[in-house]
Amino acid sequence: MTSVRNGYLVVEGCFHCRQRTSFFSGEPVPPQDDYREGDHFWSYLGSSQASKFDLRCEGCSREVPLDDVMALMLCMRCDPDCGVYKAGSGRAGEKTWVYVALCADTSHASRRCVSAPGIKALNEYFNRGNQDGHRKIIVVSCERRKNVDTCEGVVLADVGLTDIY
Amino acid sequence: MKVSELVKQGVFKTFNDPGDKEIHGVYISDMVSDIIGIGPGNLLVTLQTHKNLIAAANLVDVAAIVFSRGKMPTDDVIALANKAGIALLGFEGDTWTLAKKLYELGVR
Repeated sequence: MTSVRNGYLVVEGCFHCRQRTSFFSGEPVPPQDDYREGDHFWSYLGSSQASKFDLRCEGCSREVPLDDVMALMLCMRCDPDCGVYKAGSGRAGEKTWVYVALCADTSHASRRCVSAPGIKALNEYFNRGNQDGHRKIIVVSCERRKNVDTCEGVVLADVGLTDIY
Repeated sequence: MKVSELVKQGVFKTFNDPGDKEIHGVYISDMVSDIIGIGPGNLLVTLQTHKNLIAAANLVDVAAIVFSRGKMPTDDVIALANKAGIALLGFEGDTWTLAKKLYELGVR
């Protein structure tokens, strides 16, 4: 893991087309301003502390940038028809955990998602040194998720950090 | 040292089956976004008791989680930890006292 950047995962929504988007802000305070961008009217929906990072191969030193990954999310296996659910199925005898790499374009209106090299690198990184042959981490891109509104996944971000006391 | 051996010292409260994972180190953090960078086998010391923490701890394959200052996980958090095979332990004192206690007990 290299180039670790700390900041905020900011989620915005367009009340006009109801699309959602997210971005990573490295500013001390996450921006909460409403603004217009073409046909979109983006409004602040929420934010949480998060980290971004890239991955570097310890063997060849090649770096895989993960600029398109906003956060990771654990699949809670809520919908058998969801592509993420299916990614973790059919592995009898294995303790398989599926994590979703979330891109910025939550609604996927741009038809873009996390890059294939990024997904491959995340899978290799989080399965490195795995001593348990029956345990496997699978990372998939968020374009496989069926429905963002009904998804019960747990996002790995610091939501509610101020509530600990 | 294994988690089960640590529990036998009688210092920690257990919230589920402590299991038998080997402890390879200790990491103290209250930020989920920080935890995802650590290596496998760490004993994670934290104040946080929410589900996000379990999701992150599972991703990096921690040996166990110790909640300091008497923090108690809720039933749904314990259930997720059980599915992930992550031992949840509790300690009444503050994090600094816990760190010293772990060192005294031989955890390195």
